[in-house]
Amino acid sequence: MGKDATRAEWDNPMQFVLACVSYAVGLGNVWRFPYLCQMHGGGGFLIPYLLMLVLLGVPLFYMELAIGQKMRLGSIGAWRAINPYLGGVGLASVVTSMYLCLYYNVINAWSFWYLFHSFQSVLPWAECPVNSNLTGPVEECERATPTQYFFYRETLDISGSIEENGGIHMGQALCLLLAWMIVYLFIVKGVKSTGKVVYFTATFPYLVLIIYLIRGVTLHGAINGVKYMFTPKMEQLANPTTWINAATQIFFSLGLGFGSLIAFASYNQYNNNFEKQAIVVSTVNSSTSIFASIVTFSIYGFKATFNYESCLERVRLLLLNTFDLAEDTISLENVNHWIAELNRTHTEQFASLGGRLETCDLEAELDTAVEGTGLAFIVYSEAIKNMPVSQLWSVLYFIMLLLLGMGSMLGNVIAVITPLSDLKFISRYMSTKTLNGLVCLFCLLLGLGFTTRSGNYWFTMFNDYGATFSLLFIVLIEVITVCYIYGIKRFEKDVEDMLGHRLNCYWKIMLAGVSPILLIALFIFYIVNYIQGGTPTYQAWNKELGKSVVTEYPPYAQAFIGLLLASSVCCIPLTALYTYCKKRNLASGKRERTVSTVSL
Amino acid sequence: MHCCSHIILLFGQAICTVGDNCYRAVTFLKEGMLVWILFLLCQVGAPALAQDLCQRDAPNGYKVRISLKTALGEDAYEWNQSEMFFFQATMAFAMRRHFQMETYNVDNIILCVQTSRVSFWFVVTSPDNTTMLIPKADVEKAVRMSRHRINNAFLLSDRTLEFLGIYPTLAATVNPDTPPWLIVFGVVIGAVCAGIIALLVSSLLQKRRKEKGMTEDGQDEEDMQVKGVENGINLDGTYNRGFTDDDRFTKL
Repeated sequence: MGKDATRAEWDNPMQFVLACVSYAVGLGNVWRFPYLCQMHGGGGFLIPYLLMLVLLGVPLFYMELAIGQKMRLGSIGAWRAINPYLGGVGLASVVTSMYLCLYYNVINAWSFWYLFHSFQSVLPWAECPVNSNLTGPVEECERATPTQYFFYRETLDISGSIEENGGIHMGQALCLLLAWMIVYLFIVKGVKSTGKVVYFTATFPYLVLIIYLIRGVTLHGAINGVKYMFTPKMEQLANPTTWINAATQIFFSLGLGFGSLIAFASYNQYNNNFEKQAIVVSTVNSSTSIFASIVTFSIYGFKATFNYESCLERVRLLLLNTFDLAEDTISLENVNHWIAELNRTHTEQFASLGGRLETCDLEAELDTAVEGTGLAFIVYSEAIKNMPVSQLWSVLYFIMLLLLGMGSMLGNVIAVITPLSDLKFISRYMSTKTLNGLVCLFCLLLGLGFTTRSGNYWFTMFNDYGATFSLLFIVLIEVITVCYIYGIKRFEKDVEDMLGHRLNCYWKIMLAGVSPILLIALFIFYIVNYIQGGTPTYQAWNKELGKSVVTEYPPYAQAFIGLLLASSVCCIPLTALYTYCKKRNLASGKRERTVSTVSL
Repeated sequence: MHCCSHIILLFGQAICTVGDNCYRAVTFLKEGMLVWILFLLCQVGAPALAQDLCQRDAPNGYKVRISLKTALGEDAYEWNQSEMFFFQATMAFAMRRHFQMETYNVDNIILCVQTSRVSFWFVVTSPDNTTMLIPKADVEKAVRMSRHRINNAFLLSDRTLEFLGIYPTLAATVNPDTPPWLIVFGVVIGAVCAGIIALLVSSLLQKRRKEKGMTEDGQDEEDMQVKGVENGINLDGTYNRGFTDDDRFTKL
């Protein structure tokens, strides 16, 4: 009772909803969903996506909010209260959130780097820098593109492989420091400060997205991209990977299993109507994904059309220069006609052109699907540099990325801090501010490892393995615990206590039946995929070739991957074992003490 | 036709020095015919000579390519013989500027192989000896030195007035002392630091104010106890004051 009276609370339910929206709507909505849409048949992908939202996303979201609001504790305390043997689930969530905290803020550091570099008359990724004897551009830049060169060489100063370590990139380290300071500023007073910040971080990205939508659809060639995206290719629905990717996207996009939702809900009023809020937040998250993909595809279309027309222009110049024709004879429209014509009339001379004559294909340009940091920092910045007043658009875009990233970061950090501050031995000796500061400092120091020359490879490793498999396992155990070990009847009673009405059949069927089955299917698929995939590989940037090559991880890196996976998953059985041993010792200790008083 | 007049003069001088008293009338006629033949030869020979010097893929020549419509669009002027003459004059200027001693003239720049792309070849002959070509390297140096002036003369740029084989020197990237991103970074991190310090200080002040308020309220605690409020729960009955300061009365 005393704990409840002193526990911090959101000022109003709106802050809680905005915090959840800010957490769920993150970078994945902008760079993962459009990629999946493109890979799995455009408009047709919405069918498995929305189906998975209803079957998997909303029920699990609802469950996590219910647990947090009922137990009024962070993930460790909440799961210990549900079942003492399964307190390890909370611990596993904290460990996974810790990994996420470490590497996620590096993305914010990159966004800051790009944002600060946008305040120049010529965007630094628009042209190649000149080499030392002023004869031409730097070779690496010439073989790759200026945007790739800026990302891999100037931003990351990337080495050739994960084994080659280098020094810390000072600029990156400074940006990471700034990112962590801002996170600290947002959480320093706990929920009181976070509650005010989320008004901004949840709403401003939408403003930027709307501005970008208007700018995007008015760009030349944007319609090609949007048409390409929305043309459904229904045959992709027969591919099981489509359904698996839809489920995975819903799962990770909502941020289930990290403990952030439990932490957020633990600061709620006991009778808060989280049912409506769960549906609202999930719907908002999915709509944002679809909205963001319209923006992304209009920008794709612009970039593809620009590249296609540049290609045509190069071919036109080549023909004019080789055959010494007057400038206005060949225009962009009749290039292909002239190619056929010149091939017929001047066959020899045409043959001498050889490999220099490129084939320009708009479809091929649109087909280049990219996701992740490559999309955000390379493809998008390439599109932005060709827009008029590119500095303004660049600044707006990176501010949006920052807000999305920071909003998600808040959730991640609160997922780590709330359970820690609930532990009695920490709350006795440290105030919230000191604890927050220490956690931020710890994550900053470890995160500096990602700013070294091989840091990006470690980042990719954490991104691919740190939180994917363990989360599935955690949420699976969560659902089984709540529905079968704690019991769906007790859960129903708790919800009735909080909300005032019973769980209706939809929630019961989904939570007890459909969601666990889907989760088990996903889990099995991941294991099969991992085993079949052979040695894990990564993309290493080759300086000489100016592109990424697929390289295998060295043995120690593979061991580290195993450690990442095992460290969070093992928490569950180890904690169960520990609790069992403690209970046995306690029981045997009690018996001993009763014996001694009797003997006295 | 500078060379022709030179040749005729020299020949004339050579003839006259043979002798003043010799068969003036006959020689005068012969002179006239010779001059006329020479003149004809010059008319035919000089361009033939120039043609040998300037040709496609000439070892000491450069190809020039001009893209007027790309550079000027609607305002593009027509490329005609006057523009070609202007080019010769500009090149002669460039050569003079580089080799400051020698006086190049328009005749020293020979153009050929003109196409409708607007591209042509040119070679540069020496002002002293019109059969001798200036080597490629020297022409290149002269062009590089005056490239900016040549471009501006035609309202074109390095990209639209191309000398194939002479790559423009790229402008060196200006490296300011403080990179601009560092300035923006400094501003932002300063603001964030100020924010953090402000928040911490304000909460510290609030705590101190609360503590001060607590010590003033501390005297009310005893009264609260007296009134029967203990641990926030109202106890029934009145508290017997006789037992509060027990130690004061019992002095043993």
